Amino acid sequence: MGNLKVTMTDVNGVSKTFDGVEEGTSLMELGKQNDVAGIMGDCGGGCACATCHVYVNGDWFAKVGEPDDIEFAMLDMVADVMKENSRLGCQIKMSPELDGLEVTVAPASSY
Amino acid sequence: MATQTTDTPVSERLPLSAEEQRLLDEGTLKDHGIQAHPRDFYRAMRKGQPIYHDKGLNSWLVTRHEDIWAVQSDPVTFSVQHGYHEQQARGMQDEFRAYLKEHGGGYFPDAIMSDPPYHTRIRKLMERAFTAHRVKELEPRLHAIVRDLVAEFADKGSCDAVRDISQPLTIRVIVEQMGLDHGMEDKIVEWSMAVTAQIGAMQSRETMLANAAKIAELQQYLIGKMKEREAEPREDMISDIVHAEVTNADGTVEKLTFEEAVSLIRAMVIAGNDTTATAIGNLFYVLATKPGMMETLLEVAEDERKMNRFVEEHLRNEPPVRALSRMAVKDAVVNGTTIPAGSHMLLVYDSGNDDETVFPEPRKFDMTRPNLGRHVGFGGGPHRCVGIALARMEVKLAAQEVARQLKNIKLAIPESEITYLPTVATHTIESLPITYDKR
Repeated sequence: MGNLKVTMTDVNGVSKTFDGVEEGTSLMELGKQNDVAGIMGDCGGGCACATCHVYVNGDWFAKVGEPDDIEFAMLDMVADVMKENSRLGCQIKMSPELDGLEVTVAPASSY
Repeated sequence: MATQTTDTPVSERLPLSAEEQRLLDEGTLKDHGIQAHPRDFYRAMRKGQPIYHDKGLNSWLVTRHEDIWAVQSDPVTFSVQHGYHEQQARGMQDEFRAYLKEHGGGYFPDAIMSDPPYHTRIRKLMERAFTAHRVKELEPRLHAIVRDLVAEFADKGSCDAVRDISQPLTIRVIVEQMGLDHGMEDKIVEWSMAVTAQIGAMQSRETMLANAAKIAELQQYLIGKMKEREAEPREDMISDIVHAEVTNADGTVEKLTFEEAVSLIRAMVIAGNDTTATAIGNLFYVLATKPGMMETLLEVAEDERKMNRFVEEHLRNEPPVRALSRMAVKDAVVNGTTIPAGSHMLLVYDSGNDDETVFPEPRKFDMTRPNLGRHVGFGGGPHRCVGIALARMEVKLAAQEVARQLKNIKLAIPESEITYLPTVATHTIESLPITYDKR
């Protein structure tokens, strides 16, 4: 068990804080392990499906950084719910620099 | 008592025209004509009976996008384990299995066609091989394969876009990735069709046995390759699988069984080539028949971001996989319709992708759709296609090289003469003679 902290607000607006997150755990894995609503992670972390889409809260985005081209291509597939601070949870791996990270799960693409 | 399994609302049933009512009364996806041109049948179902009992197939067809999404998100109630194995050689399973045991080195049930939690550990193993980032690293090598193949035909002025380009393209990729032998390409096409036919619900006993013989041959070939790699590993996916270890939920590590390994290697050889070849064949079809398609492609071919959208909209518009199976393990209500326990179901992806409530004007090719990622061409939920990134890459490279090397693509036969593979599983053009000029 690690010692990092992450707060995830699920797609229904319910916030949960996880202590003890291990370094290297992705937000997709964390969300799936804890049944965070809206995190599905269909492709298993391959950056190939956009079902672990999160918004990175406030100043944390600068620390997390921009998506690369491959990740952007997936976010672009859910353009109607993509924002400036969008990332795929599977591509954000926890590290000491991200201790305390806060993200909000993005809604599914519209009908 | 059955309860509404999904939290989706019950959709409004819309009034039907006389023709639509006739389709619902008499239609079946078992009909070759409907298989080839199914969209009117799909629309009638979506409007009138979105969860439709197809008497010809004795299957429940799930046709609305939202309902497909809901069913595939509940892999426990709607079992792939039962749905798939029930569909395989349907009605003749004992004979099929016995044949493979006697002639094919064994009967190896598809380990990936299973339910959680077993499925989860097998799936993890496959996922590592297919991440978008790993596929991106393969791009230069894949590009060379695609470029050279299109170049072989560019001067000729005519070819069969399915048999000369689409099928060899995906086969060459899989031969290289898996570490199979060059020169086996024709055999692999034949074997793939035999495996696909077993889930196509269209076999007589004679064709089932003929296909089983080909599957036996495929298995014997793969088992031979596996033994070679066991003794001497190389940089290929057969070596990866033969030597793979799976970490269980409790942290213990185990190797795949021989049966699991054969089934996974067989699945990787088959799943990725027939379907992707179908997508590329469909691309040639729309380039040859849809006004403005080639111009659209030319505009975006050198822009990676736009190409991603082009490919995704193509896969939404002409999904290669038509429908895959589930079985309801208990009475379940989907969109107001009770599906009895033990019923076979088909998630009709190409109907879901045509659902006008999700994709307005669904027949229009519109790369700017804001919800492209919502399409179900790759399925969804825990069984979502594991080879998504590789499939997208192959279709993208094919489209780019066609744009770079060919122009004036036209059908060499009347459109009405195009034939489709007789199967419910895919929507596959069998042969597509075209003419073109070299760019």
